[in-house]
Amino acid sequence: MTREDSSKVTRRSTRFSSSLTNDNPEPNPSHPPTVADLTSGQESITLDALLSSFPGRRSQILDLIRLIGPLDSPALPVMVYGDASTGKTSVALQVFKHLNRPFVYSSCRTCCTPRLFFESILNQLLLHSKCSSNGYASAKRCDKPSDFVNLLKEALSGVVETLGSAKLERKLMGKMVYLIVDHVDLIKEWDKGAMILQFLFGLYSVLKMPQLGIILISGLPPDVYYSNMGYTDPIPVYFPEYSEEELRQIFLKSQVNKKLYSAFLDVALRPFCRVTRRVEELSTSLSSLFRKYCEPLDDLSISPNEDLKRRLYSNLRPHITSCLNEVFRVSGRPRDGDTRGERRQKASYSSEKGEELEVLDFHMSTSAKYLLIAAFLASRNPATLDASMFDSTGGMDNRKRKRKASEKSMEKKEMAEQEAVMKGPGSFPLERLLAIFQCIASVGDSSLGEEEDEEGEEEATGYDKESNNMMSDILLQVASLCDANFMIKSGSCPLEGSIRYRSMVSEDLSLKVARSLSFPLSKYLYRR
Amino acid sequence: MGKENPAEKALNLIRGRLCDPTFVFRPLSGPPDSNYSKLKFIVSTSITEGCNNSILLLGPRGSGKAAVLDLVVGDLMEEYPDSVTLIRLNGLLHSEDNCAFKEIARQLCMEHHLLFSKMASFDENSQFIIAMLRECGLAHKTIIFVLDEFDMFAQASGKQRLLYSLLDAMQSVTSQAVVVGISSRLDADQLLEKRVRSRFSHRKILFLPPSREEIDSLLEHLLSLPADSSFPSGYVTQFNEKIKNITSDTRFKDMLKTFLNANSTVNSLLKFIFRAVSSMNLESGLLSLENFKTALSSMLRQPKLEAVRDCSILELYLLVCMRRLEVKEQSSYNFISVMKEYKTIHDSFQTSDFYAQNVCLRAFEHLREREVICYAENRGQSQAGEYRPMKLLISASELHQGMRSHACCPAILLKLLDH
Repeated sequence: MTREDSSKVTRRSTRFSSSLTNDNPEPNPSHPPTVADLTSGQESITLDALLSSFPGRRSQILDLIRLIGPLDSPALPVMVYGDASTGKTSVALQVFKHLNRPFVYSSCRTCCTPRLFFESILNQLLLHSKCSSNGYASAKRCDKPSDFVNLLKEALSGVVETLGSAKLERKLMGKMVYLIVDHVDLIKEWDKGAMILQFLFGLYSVLKMPQLGIILISGLPPDVYYSNMGYTDPIPVYFPEYSEEELRQIFLKSQVNKKLYSAFLDVALRPFCRVTRRVEELSTSLSSLFRKYCEPLDDLSISPNEDLKRRLYSNLRPHITSCLNEVFRVSGRPRDGDTRGERRQKASYSSEKGEELEVLDFHMSTSAKYLLIAAFLASRNPATLDASMFDSTGGMDNRKRKRKASEKSMEKKEMAEQEAVMKGPGSFPLERLLAIFQCIASVGDSSLGEEEDEEGEEEATGYDKESNNMMSDILLQVASLCDANFMIKSGSCPLEGSIRYRSMVSEDLSLKVARSLSFPLSKYLYRR
Repeated sequence: MGKENPAEKALNLIRGRLCDPTFVFRPLSGPPDSNYSKLKFIVSTSITEGCNNSILLLGPRGSGKAAVLDLVVGDLMEEYPDSVTLIRLNGLLHSEDNCAFKEIARQLCMEHHLLFSKMASFDENSQFIIAMLRECGLAHKTIIFVLDEFDMFAQASGKQRLLYSLLDAMQSVTSQAVVVGISSRLDADQLLEKRVRSRFSHRKILFLPPSREEIDSLLEHLLSLPADSSFPSGYVTQFNEKIKNITSDTRFKDMLKTFLNANSTVNSLLKFIFRAVSSMNLESGLLSLENFKTALSSMLRQPKLEAVRDCSILELYLLVCMRRLEVKEQSSYNFISVMKEYKTIHDSFQTSDFYAQNVCLRAFEHLREREVICYAENRGQSQAGEYRPMKLLISASELHQGMRSHACCPAILLKLLDH
């Protein structure tokens, strides 16, 4: 039987690459990879160390260890499932570190096509590492499940033979190899994903090799994978979200001053847990809040008494609410030492104290900002009102006499409102956008002149008076706004022939942009 | 060390048995009118009398069709050592014709120690296969083709070329071949084209779920330790005694009935026993009823309930708002309308949980990732995520139950759900 040669990929070398000299140090060739490398390689940890490093996961860890079973015991496929950041991957890998058994790990997030996925598993089993000497190619080329099954059988029998025969100085590793596949739920989005999923779930019965143990890690529960092609379900192990008590233990684990942090958690953890219980999101918001909590303290290693705790809490309390509304946001600006932002906030448009006025935290050119506002207005206002909105007086006359609304018209208004909410922002042709843009740009021009003696705005207010010469630039700006997803191209009507756009910005963002330009946006918004 | 070893050995032995389908299905092949004997009769007559045959094995997934076939083939290979060749194909892997022919040629080459070239074209492969069929027929050797996931072969490319060529070759060339199709679709033969169906003998063997007596004998067969010298004899009798006690307990019978009501195939029973056996207490070395109870509760999961129980309080608020919108008979709603409902609840009840829009949007995304809610239509790609219509993927009763068993659900939410 002819064996397949490792694929020799002939690469075209560009002038640039051939002129480069190879500077990176090669992986040490005197250390060829052995089967022992399939284990995690470091000292194995005891069960107690494992259990204490994952608070709240005791029953799941013991479950998983029992399902994997003692040395050389055949196992049925297992599926570990749970929400994001519940510790599934880390627990699985640490369990294997504790058990010191050879395993092969492949994640469907990094290997995003079937070919990458199959080849990564085969590379690990064949102890092949990609380096420049073999041109960073895989050991075998494999993109179909049928080839994968054959090659996997060969590779596995090779590994099992080495495990069985070789004398290993370290502890026994057993004769079984385990396959860990992470992020199985991402396979659904692949091309022909349903087929690959079916194949993966049936891999154990297709291979018929008792020396392979399969562990699947998925972010979605098993009922998502039911398909009309039938489904052989693996044994499920569920990782629930952490409770508050467990979250406390997790956050306390890595802290230096446990008493201080635990006092902090007493007041801060509960309100945050009402919003989200995911560890990654909580840790970012809690760390910034903890910095604020420790601000009045000089010595960070003291353990607080009751009086100190109360004072620190009262200092922190106003910040908790504001932090809660920013739970999922990662601030773009560095928090410490930036007092400029605070000054700007104080000097901003509205004078209400309690309101949180936010400033735009990314930079846009002035014409882009006007375009954004024009797009927002075009999406929100019905086209028939344009003439009255943008007439020379520069604003809608709000002092219309209002008739007393009858009940039927109120109902109709409600229905219309509901429909408007469901439909979302409307679409507009390019000409309308440009017309509105020209109107408001001229308005903004005049209003900018009045406020020039405000405190020195560092933003470039270099909006030229020669707006008529900038039409091509404006069209470029439209294209870049589309790329940044502030506007999207809607379908075009074949009768009209022009492309229609739709604005995607929220009202908050457009208010922020308008505020930075000192543009009276609310006067131009049509409210039903 | 002394007490641990027999327990671990017993555990390994039982786990090995559960993972080995041929061991599991052997007792089911005893009685004379079982599927095993029917299948064996058909295949062995075609071997001895040198004729062609085709047969379908049908039954729900996990009822042991492939295992019984393996048993039959294994036995026949022993009885007629040199006159049986086995070719295995799987519909998941080889549904494309090129792939299938290449695989058949490869396996034939392996069996007969010929050189196989990967570069052979489709025509070369098919000619090779037909030539091999003729040769084997002349030499009185039977080739058994096993087509797993038969319905995928029938559905794959629409032309069913592989099936047609195989069945056609069997009829026209002097060959001795048996084609065995395995499928979990009970109407697999309806999927065949007319020309294929006319060449197919409509023999079907149905695999039904096992009866109570079969299950009881299966349990005993799987769980009793053999009284051989590798185990201390006192331990063996103790273990088997405990097994008998457990299986005759009414609570165990109830548990088994509950489990089999949900899924009555043999494979799921094996998984249940595997789970129970894995949690065996290694110090005492004996199984107990508790093991089976924990196995039952972990196998019969309710994922949507767990998803609701895992929600944070803000996410529960959003779910309740969506439910209330549904009750108000608003046929379609999106994130903005849910936010409006959220605001009205906050205004009328003065709840303490009122968060900004971006926080709620992110909580909404969490719910969507967990597949508790989803977009109502797929085509609305041109709309922002907040305006696309959504729908709930859990029913009202599941939501209710989940919230009641939630660790810290505020009472006001339950009240809101009811009104």
